[in-house]
Amino acid sequence: MNIALSATPERRLRLSSQTLVTIVFLAPSLLLLAVFLLYPLVSSLRLSLLDWNGLGNTARYIGLANWAKLAHDAVFWQSLRNNVLLAVASIAIQLPIALALAVLLEKAGRGSRILKVLYFLPLLMSSVAIGVLFKQIYDPNFGPLNVALQAFGLDGLAKDWLGDPHFSLGATIAVIIWQNAPFYMILFLAGLSSMPAEVNEAALLDGASEWTIFWRIKLPHLQGTVRTAVLLSVLGSLRYFDLVFVMTGGGPEGSSEVMATYMYRTVFSSFQLGYGSTIGSAMFLIVITVAAVSMYFTRRYATEV
Amino acid sequence: MAYPAFAKARSIVSASALAFSLCAAVSTAVQAEPVKTITAWDQQTNASSSKILRDAADRFEKANPGYKVEESHVLNEAYKTKLKVSFGADQPPCVFENWGGGGLHEYVKSGQIVDLSPYLNKDPAYRNRFMKASWDVTTFDGKTYGVAAENAAAAVIFYNKEVFRKYGITPPKTWDELLHVVDVLKSHGVAAFSLANKNKWTGSMYYMYLVDRIGGPQVVKDALAGKGKGFEDPAFVEAGKRIQELVKAGAFAPGINGLDYDSGASRRLLYSGKAAMELMGAWEASTIANEDPAFSKDLDFMPFPTVPGGKGDARDLIGTVGDGFLSISTQCKYPDAAFKLIQAMTDEQAMQERASNDHKLPPVNNVKIDDPITQRLQKMLADAPSVQLWYDQALPPALGEMHKDTTQALFGLSLTPEAAAQQMQAAAKKGG
Repeated sequence: MNIALSATPERRLRLSSQTLVTIVFLAPSLLLLAVFLLYPLVSSLRLSLLDWNGLGNTARYIGLANWAKLAHDAVFWQSLRNNVLLAVASIAIQLPIALALAVLLEKAGRGSRILKVLYFLPLLMSSVAIGVLFKQIYDPNFGPLNVALQAFGLDGLAKDWLGDPHFSLGATIAVIIWQNAPFYMILFLAGLSSMPAEVNEAALLDGASEWTIFWRIKLPHLQGTVRTAVLLSVLGSLRYFDLVFVMTGGGPEGSSEVMATYMYRTVFSSFQLGYGSTIGSAMFLIVITVAAVSMYFTRRYATEV
Repeated sequence: MAYPAFAKARSIVSASALAFSLCAAVSTAVQAEPVKTITAWDQQTNASSSKILRDAADRFEKANPGYKVEESHVLNEAYKTKLKVSFGADQPPCVFENWGGGGLHEYVKSGQIVDLSPYLNKDPAYRNRFMKASWDVTTFDGKTYGVAAENAAAAVIFYNKEVFRKYGITPPKTWDELLHVVDVLKSHGVAAFSLANKNKWTGSMYYMYLVDRIGGPQVVKDALAGKGKGFEDPAFVEAGKRIQELVKAGAFAPGINGLDYDSGASRRLLYSGKAAMELMGAWEASTIANEDPAFSKDLDFMPFPTVPGGKGDARDLIGTVGDGFLSISTQCKYPDAAFKLIQAMTDEQAMQERASNDHKLPPVNNVKIDDPITQRLQKMLADAPSVQLWYDQALPPALGEMHKDTTQALFGLSLTPEAAAQQMQAAAKKGG
């Protein structure tokens, strides 16, 4: 009785001090999140209800008019469609390339270190530099790509890559994939390195072919990593900005416009801060919905990687 | 138990209050000898251009003791963003460079810009030094909000004299002569024009000139004022048709809508001899002289040709008389001093330095020019019955974007001239 009485307040005291510690240690990051994430989010939702050029006290509250306009804005839907195409290309082309590179490099072992570095290089280059470089490569008058195609007699394939609305998006996506594939290659390499070597050896002893080992052992082992990679590339594709901005500026005629470049143009070239915020908020809602849904459906594959 | 804690807290509060008031006392003591700072932003990043402004600021500081000019030079796109963000965040610079036209009007409508008319009315000698057309760009509803500072520029057709001589052709004065030149050059495997139209304002130059040559300078002014048929005036439709006629005739080196002017894609076509002409702002002459001095010797320029049956004067120009305009934000604490700073930045010395050291054509009447190309341009500007400001700067920003988008689509042959005109007029009606 006596002991219990004295123990209770002590424990309560310890608990509350623990709560205090938790609060104190979380406070800086919570504060940063609130200031740099939560506040801009809420404030851009608020801005999306205004007709405002971003200057002085001229804002006019117009309710959901911007959102109604967005729903009928062909350019926005075109840009969303381009974002989706980019996401599909990332999953269907970029990830298999990254996976193939990772499996081959892992198989090659130590001898492949120089290749690892080489393949990793595009990721280290600034997007602007890459954009300028590929603008030169695609140039229809001087670019090495068309010169090479013509040298092989493939004149019909030498297109106006960035200037023709039919090819501009594809040409840009190809560069985006070239730049980002190495990131996923590293991700898959990390996943593969955590696979116990015995499993592989046992399979070899049992006479399994490389093909079988890949499909039956390596790929299932990478389930969690693949899930992460898919999620990252979908979210990255929906938010994409830099190479599109540098290489085509969303053009020609909006053929390579993505949501982020459209938002930028609306705010900074057309002076429509209110409508630009609507585009930004819509982009956020789309990204968060896609993220939530895909995380929900893939939760059974959850791993740390 | 509670009371002592409270007392302690109270003593802390009063102690800090004391400390605070001490600080305040100290800071007022410092303010007894105040330095009045005037911030001045511009986009003149190269060494000689920014030195002209700094020297002018030094002259201002010397003549007005107690003031200090804090300047910053930021390049083009970043400058536009920085300016917008600073005004949006209520921390605008005192004096800042802008492009006049629809963009400046946007700031004026929001009450962000000081009306300079009272200052200018007091000093007619200063006002009359400037080319008359320079004031049109910064005057809205009879009030003037900016002073032209940097450079007068008009779009002209630069051409390669050597190529013209080689194929026995002369600079075209009319549309039909132009089509003939296109054909001759094409038969020799040379494109008539190089155009880098990823940037859109580059192709817009053809459209603006065609509208002027076909319908005269009043058409776009009426369209802006919402008079008549606006942007559906036949002159706009006709201009679109002429552009597509040129495209279909193979007048342009391939890839127009994907080529980037900023990375020199259009000039490279000139240097390599793959294209013979480029319609571009007069600044191109000095860019080319820097990039390829040898080529520069073969370079000449001509005005845009006339169109049969058109109402426009062959001497009309598209361009800007000033390029960089200096304005004062209403949040500036010392507008009187800021105007003096603007005067220093546009005084005789600064203007002459712009001409002599910077190869510019300052927007004033009394400056001496040595460079022959700039001299000819100065005369063209002086003789021009009309100098129409670039549409993308004259129009309200959203409408300017629409103009650039539709014009790019005209070049891409994916939009009919009628549809382009309709889209423009619909957007103009909505108030841009």
